[in-house]
Formats: sequence, structure tokens, C-alpha cells
Amino acid sequence: MTNLDKYNEVFFTNFQANDSQISTLTYQSIPAWDSVGHMGLIASLEEAFDIMMDTDDIIDFSSYEKGKEILKKYHVVI
Amino acid sequence: MLSSNNILTDKTALITGSNRGIGKTIVETFALNGASVIACARKETKEHQAFLNDTSEKYGVTVRPIYFDLANEIEIKESLKKLIDERCRIDILVNNAGVAHGGFLQMTTLKTIKEVFEINFFSQLMIIQLVSRLMMRQKCGSIVNMASVVGMDGYPGYSAYGSSKAALIYATKTLAMEFAPYNIRINAIAPGLTATEMATQMEKKAKEILVGDSAMKRLAKPQEIANVALFLASDLSSFINGQVLRIDGGLK
Repeated sequence: MTNLDKYNEVFFTNFQANDSQISTLTYQSIPAWDSVGHMGLIASLEEAFDIMMDTDDIIDFSSYEKGKEILKKYHVVI
Repeated sequence: MLSSNNILTDKTALITGSNRGIGKTIVETFALNGASVIACARKETKEHQAFLNDTSEKYGVTVRPIYFDLANEIEIKESLKKLIDERCRIDILVNNAGVAHGGFLQMTTLKTIKEVFEINFFSQLMIIQLVSRLMMRQKCGSIVNMASVVGMDGYPGYSAYGSSKAALIYATKTLAMEFAPYNIRINAIAPGLTATEMATQMEKKAKEILVGDSAMKRLAKPQEIANVALFLASDLSSFINGQVLRIDGGLK
């Protein structure tokens, strides 16, 4: 499984998003990605990539695309 | 010391303020009950190291130290991140470390109030923020915050200390709701005056008022506080969440 597969899988599982909408997802753009959903997303990403994100990065994680950029800081290239 | 019921077998507990008073008793009580302990303190000393070695040997559990200053955000972060990098499991967090302060508001500078809050509130929140992330991944955990009866009741001379503990109590109640979906419980203990070094630093009159107000007319023993920490940390309290347990011998 590539990092992109793992990344997408986390979004599918947490938000029940489909292939077509996943890349355009932003924080609070769908009901499932609210503040509670956000913490679940972060917990799943940390588990999937075995990382621990800084609080500032959790706050900045505002979209599917932005998330890819942030994960680079943790040596996760998607 | 109680006899062991091994109610913390296979659990790892991170305990702050482990070098003296209530924290030291909690380390021993948890070790007696089968927990591996990560004992946090500000500085490495021979006495602390010897205590940890003895405890480990006596109860056959791992007891390891980590050192950081609660006034130093970077030190806290780096020390805890090391544990995370080691993929260390933390089942229990006891936020016990704190700083005592007494004095009327008019005799307390704002700088001092901020320092008290830094140690007793902000650093505790930071530790919770980091450790709870591990617990969220594990989908379980128990956090015990050391508050105080003066964070619940107004007492003259405790505006800084009492307010910092009241803030910690509020955070405990709020975080109980935020963490519950991850099967993490968080509770607080509010001890009355306890027979530790901290109590000896108090003004005699202030001490007499607190002891006099207690129905049992005495100080708490550190073991009496550690016993409640043990209960809250263990699965015996599996449906207790967001609560503050007073251990004050029945304050008026």
C-alpha cells in the first residue's frame, strides 16, 4: 500500500467520502469533518503513519491538499 | 502502605512530581500494584534515582525517570516526544506536580500569579495534550489531575494557587467530554492539607484554619491521597469520569 493509498483510506474511513470528492475536501466542508471529526482524522493519520503531529500542524490541517504538505514535515511523502 | 491487589498489572503510568510528597507515594503505590512507572521530576538527584531503583527492585516492575522543568515548554515537549518516538505506551497519567503559593492578592504580583498558572495549569494542559494523543491512538487511558480543595472553596490567601487549581478542575470536566469518545477518562483529586513538605512551608495560622475546618481535625496522609489516585487510575473506577474527588476528612 502506498502512502497515498493509506492517506486516502484514512479520509474514506473517517468521512465516508468517495473518490470524486476526496481531493476537494476542506475542514468543515462536509458535516463529518467538524471539530470532532478532525480529531478522529488526526488520530487515524498519526496511527497510519506512526507520527505525532504538533498542535500548530493540527490546527493548520485545513484541507486534504494542505494535509499532504504538512505530512512532509514528518517525512511522509504522499 | 496497602497490600498489593495488582490492579495495575500490565499498565504503564506516567507520574509527574515523583521525587517527593504525594507523587513519591503514588509511584510506590502504583508499583506495588503492578504498574510500570515513568517517574517525572525536575532534576536528576542521587536520592530520586535510588528511590526509583529500590522501588523497581522491591516490586519487580520497571521504574524509569524522565526529567523536565514544568516551567519550560520546550523541555516538556522534548521529553515526552522521546517517549512517543520510543513507541512507549502510557495507560495512566497522573498530573501531580505543582507549585504551592499562599498570599493575599494585594501582596501577590501579577508575575507570580502567572508563574503559578504556568506550572499548575498551562504545563499540565500541555502534558495532557501530548499524552492524550497517545491514549487516543490506544483508545484507552486514565488521567488523574491533582487539584485542591482550595480550587473548589474560597480560602483567603489562595487567590493564585486556588484559581490555578480551579482552572485545572474546569479543564478536567471539559476534557472528560472531549476524551470520552476515545475511551479516555479524566478525573481530579482535591486533597485538603496533606502532610508533605509543601504543608510545612505554610503559615501556621493558615494551616490551623484548614485543619480546624476538617471534621477529622488532621492533615491527610500522602498514602490516603495515593490510594484515591490508584482507584481513579485503575479500572475499578471505569465509569467515573469528569469528577473531582475531595479527600479532606470532611471539610465544613
